Amino acid sequence: MLLQVRQLTKSFDDKTILRGVDLDLAEGQLKVIMGPSGCGKSTLLRCLNRLIEPSSGQVIFRGKDVLQPGTDVRALRQQIGFVFQQFALYRHLSALHNVTLALRKLRGMSVREAHAKAMHELGRMNMAEHADQYPAQLSGGQKQRVAIARALAMDPAVLFFDEPTSALDPLMSREVVSVIKQLQLDNVTMLCVTHDPFLAKSIADRVMFLDEGVVRAEGTVAEIFGAHADPRIRDFFAHEHSAA
Amino acid sequence: MTGWLSFFQDVFEYWPQILGGLGNTLLLFAIVTVTGLIGGILVFYQALSPNRHVRRITEGYISFFIGTPLIVLLFLMYYGLPQTGIHLSPLAVAVIGFTMNVAAYNARYLMSAYNGIDASELEAARAQGFSTLQVFRLVTLPQTLRLAMPGLTNQVILNLKDSSIVFLIQYTEFFAQMQELAARNFQYFKVYLLTGLVYLLLVSLVVLAARWLERRVLPAACRT
Repeated sequence: MLLQVRQLTKSFDDKTILRGVDLDLAEGQLKVIMGPSGCGKSTLLRCLNRLIEPSSGQVIFRGKDVLQPGTDVRALRQQIGFVFQQFALYRHLSALHNVTLALRKLRGMSVREAHAKAMHELGRMNMAEHADQYPAQLSGGQKQRVAIARALAMDPAVLFFDEPTSALDPLMSREVVSVIKQLQLDNVTMLCVTHDPFLAKSIADRVMFLDEGVVRAEGTVAEIFGAHADPRIRDFFAHEHSAA
Repeated sequence: MTGWLSFFQDVFEYWPQILGGLGNTLLLFAIVTVTGLIGGILVFYQALSPNRHVRRITEGYISFFIGTPLIVLLFLMYYGLPQTGIHLSPLAVAVIGFTMNVAAYNARYLMSAYNGIDASELEAARAQGFSTLQVFRLVTLPQTLRLAMPGLTNQVILNLKDSSIVFLIQYTEFFAQMQELAARNFQYFKVYLLTGLVYLLLVSLVVLAARWLERRVLPAACRT
């Protein structure tokens, strides 16, 4: 198992966001975490690479509890690619330099090596011809593909997606879905937070449903999206379906 | 017409001193522009500290130096410090005084610009594994410098103009030499008109250089 989370909790002052979350992610698996807004999905993702410090619990990554004191947090983060809802590209850098920055400054690659690696990843995302363009010159879907190339360039053990399609129109969402599907074929391990049923149905191996910081259910797409026994889950999908 | 001719003869005779003063003005201007920018960046970095006390001290520094007239600081160091046994040259006082003052203003410009940075970019940099200092150096600073460029370049212009007050602490810069010329030939109107025109010329050159720099560091592609 690549990632095991046990009894993870997170509280901000007097508000508890995550309440004893358990999660397993195997190599090559794509798990989708769904749930209503404010249920703690994004917080969970950020607790796993310690962008947010969990209050208690265990995060076992490659057999080691990374919440233990003495963990090299920066080294941990370099093994986890993170793709954000709002793309989060460095706007003062071209697409190419967005990808090469970490390769040069964190991996110590030469300009030539970093350039070659970045162009390979941009090519994989069909973005090679836009390498010299700045984020402001790219569409939302193109920005997200550059963001994915930036994450992939570091050869991460797992890719985290935080609502990767919610800032995109349906056409651009489909672009991103097809990219994620391609990564799935390449056996990339992924954990994706979304409340977009279309995205979840299109890509998920397994779906975990989080509600008020608690895992209410986990199963295959058919199990979660079917007539689930839990009325909260049924209500959520009925609402999402009508909203769509 | 004869009056102007004799005036320019005076200027010509006094030219070596005027040129020396101009050199001193440009020397002070160049030094404080660089030290003020570096100081401003350091103060700005401290202003982003996760430590509440560091942030408060930094805010206090900025408020103090923005709220205190520069001339008071220069007099305090030049006339006040010798009473405590510390003697500094006029240039040293000017450089230290200007640097502390300009650093506070530059830090304020950078802090205002910082509000224009998308917080998700900083989070993305942390998520990639960059250290706090790397995030600052590679993401925060390049963007804040770009966004603060108009304020920073205006400060450079002010540095040049404000350098004229250091004649009050016996630093013989351009304005001091022009005053000396006026005291010799009593042609106050002509001397100060010429002084103003020279400052205008210098400021125009700085403005041209600043606008060129703004265009270079702020390509159209990343303005939005």
